[in-house]
Amino acid sequence: MPAFRILIIESDQQESAELQQLIQQWEYKSTAESISPASTLCVPNIDAALKSFDQFPPSLVIFGPIAARETPSESVRQLRQSMGLEPVPILAVQEVQENPAEPLYLADCDDILTKPYSRSLVELKLVAIRRFGEFSRSLMAQRDRLRRHHADFLQEQANAREIFGNLGNESCLDDTPAIRYHLSPRAVLNGDLLAATYSPDGKLVLMLGDFAGHGLAAAVGAVPLTSIFYSMIPRGFSFGRVAREINRKLHDILPRQMFCCLAIMEFDPRRQHLRIMNAGMPSPCLMRADGSLLMIESRHLPLGVLPSDHVDSAIVNVRTSPGDRLFLWSDGIHEARSSRGEHFGEARLLSLLQSEQPDGEQVFEQILLAVNAHAAEQHDDLSLVELDLTDPGLLRGGGLPQEVAGDRKGTPVGDWSINFRLCHAELRQADPLPQLLSVVMQMPGAARFQEDLAIALGELFRNALEHGVLELDSSIKGMDDGFVRYYDLMAERRSQLDSGWVSISLSCLEGEAGGSLSLVVEDSGKGFSGVRDTGSIYSGRGLELLRTVCSELHYSAGSSRVEAIIRWQAEPDAKSEGATQAQYNAIQNPSVPV
Amino acid sequence: MVVSERFESRVSSEVSDGGDELVIRVAGNFDFNIHRDFQRAYRNVSPAPKVFLVDLSATEHLDSAALGMLLLLRDYCVELGHEGEQPRVELMNANAHVSHILHVSNFDQIFSIC
Repeated sequence: MPAFRILIIESDQQESAELQQLIQQWEYKSTAESISPASTLCVPNIDAALKSFDQFPPSLVIFGPIAARETPSESVRQLRQSMGLEPVPILAVQEVQENPAEPLYLADCDDILTKPYSRSLVELKLVAIRRFGEFSRSLMAQRDRLRRHHADFLQEQANAREIFGNLGNESCLDDTPAIRYHLSPRAVLNGDLLAATYSPDGKLVLMLGDFAGHGLAAAVGAVPLTSIFYSMIPRGFSFGRVAREINRKLHDILPRQMFCCLAIMEFDPRRQHLRIMNAGMPSPCLMRADGSLLMIESRHLPLGVLPSDHVDSAIVNVRTSPGDRLFLWSDGIHEARSSRGEHFGEARLLSLLQSEQPDGEQVFEQILLAVNAHAAEQHDDLSLVELDLTDPGLLRGGGLPQEVAGDRKGTPVGDWSINFRLCHAELRQADPLPQLLSVVMQMPGAARFQEDLAIALGELFRNALEHGVLELDSSIKGMDDGFVRYYDLMAERRSQLDSGWVSISLSCLEGEAGGSLSLVVEDSGKGFSGVRDTGSIYSGRGLELLRTVCSELHYSAGSSRVEAIIRWQAEPDAKSEGATQAQYNAIQNPSVPV
Repeated sequence: MVVSERFESRVSSEVSDGGDELVIRVAGNFDFNIHRDFQRAYRNVSPAPKVFLVDLSATEHLDSAALGMLLLLRDYCVELGHEGEQPRVELMNANAHVSHILHVSNFDQIFSIC
């Protein structure tokens, strides 16, 4: 326990000796029962007192009766300032009997000792002061500890922000003017998360998530979430599969009370097909070109709550038309509170969207402005995303990420063939395209046709599965609500599938002048009836798309066999060292982390 | 995070229906600030009730942390289920706003709401 030091300021030696003696008779017992006598130092005046601080930092200062009378207030204030932050009480001795009416000399003191001294009163006062000193010292120590913890905490937040910033490096959010977004600067700690990337066949996949829970713990969950997202989507896994994987992973790693609300959407700009799954987020809003609003309500528990999921039945399919825009937001917008505690709410948000001016461009800013104006405190807790579904920027090719694709253009493709056959059990839920693509993409030179192949393979497989094996009629899509019904029916039939197969074979031939990749898909269905591809504009779209990516397309009525051929010309300046690099990449390529 | 000022405990609980039900009432904002009180309200009730009734009649708002607390309560029931009969969790008397939150989060799929 630190010593209790009393500094006595008194010019009269007799007076100071009397005080000193009085104090030394006093035995102080601390709360811990340890006895420690006070040490004293006598100085004649303020100047000497100020000089003594270095050697003798006082816990208490006492002005003797004469010094108390002679010291100006100004000096007392100066003394107090030079004693630092820790409060040091200052006492003044006053001889009450001389002239009781005389006012206090030292108004800047904390208390007085009356003279003649009453030993018990003086001791009582000293004990109280000493206890008070101990108390304030422990408070100060706690304050310092809190300060240190707070500084550490801020440092951790800064680290988390940096990690988060790096997690977003893979996103394509800033690559296209079609996506506008505002993420709260507090996003790390309120658990909001935004990620976007392209699938190999050029579909944009975007997710906006919101972790329940507080602070860093919530932020930590974002790491597996983004790593699953950015490793699976570019490899061609369907977003439903990715959502399932995220659910499984979050359920395994998060504490029970934590989960993630997530809206994840996939948009195919070529087919104008929007698919959204909303798991616990405020309804995203599809604003149609005609001004009508379609809210996509949550149809799934937040991810990470249950080990099982029903992702497929929670996916909403929407056919978009030119001019449609999609808005996604976090609950920060809905829950922004005014000074009267009133939430901003969905109604205000929708009326903002509906009142949009014909020029149309400003609604994004209007929402941000309106919410900030509404919120009493500036908490800026909101995340907002606007997606212009007809922006040509979305048609940017997908393509496998560099680490997967490697630098394989210009290297020979070689001659090879592969055959796959998927039976009903696999077709019920398997998503064969990623595996198939990842095998093909390992081939040197595959970068040449990867996007075309991904699109063709996707189209042909969907055709075989949906129309061949599941016997779905595309004309359903032409009816009112047919689009949604079509996909509901598909999910239902697929889950009950007990027979049927799809076979896929790829063969590649390359000569001096160029090469060709032949893709043959067959299924157990009845085969083309002749009208299957011309029924409605939407089912026709798949065919158009195939024609744009393939050099030849063969199919005939009565057969389920479709052959698509992709051709390319040899590149004159094929570099030989590319081959070694490509092989190196092929070895380095990690398998899909699942 | 806003840590609210000193408050009266907003969580109260009482055993009713001859010990079969534990009614937990949450007043005001059901949020992170009451997580200790909420846990205290249902843990170590002996004998364990058959139903934990969360009375939301005085609950004005409920956030995602509150949903997390309900999941913990649900987990606690599963734990109790290892030793004997597994208690149920029921939510009741939610106002329109709170019902909406429960609906949006699809928590109505895993909790019975009455």
